[in-house]
Amino acid sequence: MFADEFKVFKRLGLRHLLLQVLSLVSSLTLALMLWHGLMIATNCESPVVVVLSESMEPAISRGDLLFLSNLASERYKTGDIVVYKIPGADTPIVHRVIERHDVPSTVDIRQYTKFAKVSKGTGRGSSSKLCGPSQLLLTKGDNNPVDDTELYRGLEWLEKGHIVGKVNGFLPYVGYVSIAMNGSSGLKYAVLGGLCLMVLL
Amino acid sequence: MARTKQVNAQNNGSQPSSSKSNGTGVEKARSPSPDASDRPLGPLSVTVPAYEREEVKVNNANLTELKNACDDAVKRFLSRPELFKQQYLHTDIRLALGWLSVFVAAGTAFYGYKVEFEQSKPVVTIGLVLYIILTTLSTLYAYFVEGDTIFVGKRKTFSKRIITERITLSSSSPPLPKNTSCPSYSVSLQYVRSTNGGKTLLGRGRTTGAAEYSRFFDEAGVMDQPGFEKWVGGLVESAMDGKAA
Repeated sequence: MFADEFKVFKRLGLRHLLLQVLSLVSSLTLALMLWHGLMIATNCESPVVVVLSESMEPAISRGDLLFLSNLASERYKTGDIVVYKIPGADTPIVHRVIERHDVPSTVDIRQYTKFAKVSKGTGRGSSSKLCGPSQLLLTKGDNNPVDDTELYRGLEWLEKGHIVGKVNGFLPYVGYVSIAMNGSSGLKYAVLGGLCLMVLL
Repeated sequence: MARTKQVNAQNNGSQPSSSKSNGTGVEKARSPSPDASDRPLGPLSVTVPAYEREEVKVNNANLTELKNACDDAVKRFLSRPELFKQQYLHTDIRLALGWLSVFVAAGTAFYGYKVEFEQSKPVVTIGLVLYIILTTLSTLYAYFVEGDTIFVGKRKTFSKRIITERITLSSSSPPLPKNTSCPSYSVSLQYVRSTNGGKTLLGRGRTTGAAEYSRFFDEAGVMDQPGFEKWVGGLVESAMDGKAA
């Protein structure tokens, strides 16, 4: 079976082979670079996320795909839906900002953030001093009875450094593909295999 | 041995007719007409034994496949040992730019994966900009510099003095004119013959030709290679004779 292929490649030469492989690989790298471009443009580690819980019903449902941005000059307002990550927690959480305090740079923000663990957070908070007052936020899920203080693992307020990004838009139901793929590894390989076949054929 | 004798006989046989057409060629063309006695082998003089051919079969409803089959046939036809040697400059530049951009992208992605986001941002931005520049350069090169070119060939022959020839072919499938129902394959050639290390111009020719695809492909999509080669060979030889068409 491969003898034929080898004959063809020997006749057509190394350049032809390199060109074919290049066209395959360059579509991969284009996707990769587009993703990184989005990361840099939105200043966000993970510009597209999938919602796993129902704590924001009816605004955002489980399985929605969210588009985030986290520009350095962003001032978060009450009512914004943000995705944040507490250091030490596994997954990011998406909830709404219900309380916001702008702390001018003349005041040391550390008075308001109690725990030593938060020092990483304050480090990032102080770098945002360049962009004006730092912010202290409190969030709550729309569908939750109480605010998120329990989830903060000892923190009293959220700071900008904890925030992954603000939600700018969403696509419903699309996230279920990702949820399903993460659930059963068989499906993951089936989808990847299908994509590879599509590119080759 | 026998084959070379046959080839020389054919070449000598074609001399009087080419010198005749040379006369009219000189009147029509402004560029110097090549000297008939100096003319190296044309492609029609070099035959290909039938058993060496592989059948070419394409989907004759797909215009891209038809054009690519014709382009490949031209490349095979003109790269035979007695004829031109294909120059790979365009291909090499596209390959170099393409593979460089792939490595830049892979390196940037790997770095972004290993290093934490905030720290990695400057390097990732540089990598991204570099990738965009390389891809843009490659696309612009392919569009403007390479354009429609499908074959660039060079040949050095020795008869009295070293003659260098350079031929460039470009092809396209122009849009359908109103009166025909079949798309056609249009090829244009540029031919230069010089000696003395490229300093003395011996001759120059420029030809274009167009033929309908249905002339070379039957209903099943099998390509009539000898017929196609005869048509292209005729065009090449008329360019070598200096006709500016």
